[in-house]
Amino acid sequence: MASFVPTSSDTLEDQRLYTRARLVDVACLDCLATVGVKKNSEHHTSIQWSAEARGQCPEFARRTDGRAVKYGCPRMIASVEAAVRDGRVPIGAEDGY
Amino acid sequence: MSDVATDRATKVRALDHGTPPERFARGWHCLGLKESFADGKPHGIDAFGGKLVVWQDTRGDINVLDGYCRHMGGDLTQGSVKGDEVACPFHDWRWGGDGKCKAIPYARRVPLRARTQRYPVVIRNDQVLVWHDTEGSAPDLDILPPELPGVGTDEYTDWTWAVEPIVGSHCRELIDNVVDMAHFYYVHFSFPTSFRNVFEGTVATQYMESKGRPDKTGGYGDAEMFLKSEATYFGPAYMINWLQVDYKGFETEVILINCHLPTGPDSFTLQYGITVKKPEGIDDETAQYISKKYAEMFGGGFLQDVHIWKNKVPVQNPLLCEEDGPVYQLRRWYEQFYTDQADVDPEMTNRFEFEVDTTKANEYWHEEVAENLARKAVEDEAAESVDAGSPPIMTGT
Repeated sequence: MASFVPTSSDTLEDQRLYTRARLVDVACLDCLATVGVKKNSEHHTSIQWSAEARGQCPEFARRTDGRAVKYGCPRMIASVEAAVRDGRVPIGAEDGY
Repeated sequence: MSDVATDRATKVRALDHGTPPERFARGWHCLGLKESFADGKPHGIDAFGGKLVVWQDTRGDINVLDGYCRHMGGDLTQGSVKGDEVACPFHDWRWGGDGKCKAIPYARRVPLRARTQRYPVVIRNDQVLVWHDTEGSAPDLDILPPELPGVGTDEYTDWTWAVEPIVGSHCRELIDNVVDMAHFYYVHFSFPTSFRNVFEGTVATQYMESKGRPDKTGGYGDAEMFLKSEATYFGPAYMINWLQVDYKGFETEVILINCHLPTGPDSFTLQYGITVKKPEGIDDETAQYISKKYAEMFGGGFLQDVHIWKNKVPVQNPLLCEEDGPVYQLRRWYEQFYTDQADVDPEMTNRFEFEVDTTKANEYWHEEVAENLARKAVEDEAAESVDAGSPPIMTGT
């Protein structure tokens, strides 16, 4: 059963723009887990994991403290930074998304 | 400009109000402090579009049933507790915590079908939590909010607890705050200097560091107030907010519970509780006073939100700028609790991390606050000179 149903089809396009558009695949340089990355600016980062990538990451597998989720995987962060340096992840937003 | 760009730049943006969900969220919901139900009487709690009856039995266990008797619809919350059961004020039918009718004193036997809706209960952090699922699933103990070490012992103050019914808003308005960086400046009078979200499974977290605005009082407005906040929703309706508060160099560990009960399609009951780790060298009374003060501060913060919610419209298609948090991803996460368990899309629960860029916002805000302070200084000076130069007799000019 659906909920919070949009009444305009444009809303579905908005949902796509904000959640999926412009995500660039970045693979971890260590474990090869692949995530979707977006950089709207130097300081902004959006990282979308899949269940597969999440299961592949040995760093997350080691964490048992529930409150440790706030820290990203340092290897993945380094991999994303490398991808940005190499110009594989463009920096800059497109009309807010 | 391309046709698409021209179209985008000229087309008027419409608000999509959407339609509110036809169900209430699946998950653990907090009814309040356990001690508030411990007086041997039935209590009525509005929730999930109806009313629940809550009582403590002779074993000290808390029981929760649908509030209306399956016989003739009598209001069990106005009945009485007899032994371990709640008795209906209409015909004295006795209902047990397992949802079965245990006795009808005037009848030879109890009909086999005399079963009512019961809500599984877990006591957590001195609070009563119930499992709600329109599909009627067994309670998922794996996704309970965690126990808070030390809370309920002498290390922490007693809970200061408050209840605030909200009419005219769906509880998703409250959830949206998880990602709303900029409202902390405008509504709560603080500068969020660092802001990050992580969503995964049934858990959604906001990490924020902020300092109070020197040009405002009320809310979190205070130049000497620094907050480090980790606020996590465990399921749809129960947030634990771990706060390190630095006020004038005095550090306090505060735990804020922010939970709510949906009561109707556009109403909910907000509840919040505060406990403070007793600072060393401070007596219990003072610690309790500090706790009460923080409860007032965060309570005031909620009221600032409530004022916005009551006057805004629902929006299914928020238009975001680059400095906004991940509203769409948060709502995608929240949607899982309104979806049949079998239909929960992995996208709703997959890990998602978002670091908000607060640089530009804080540059602008600091300029604005500096202007506000400068203007106020001029006004204060003018007021003083008027006071000083006022003739003792009013001239009427």
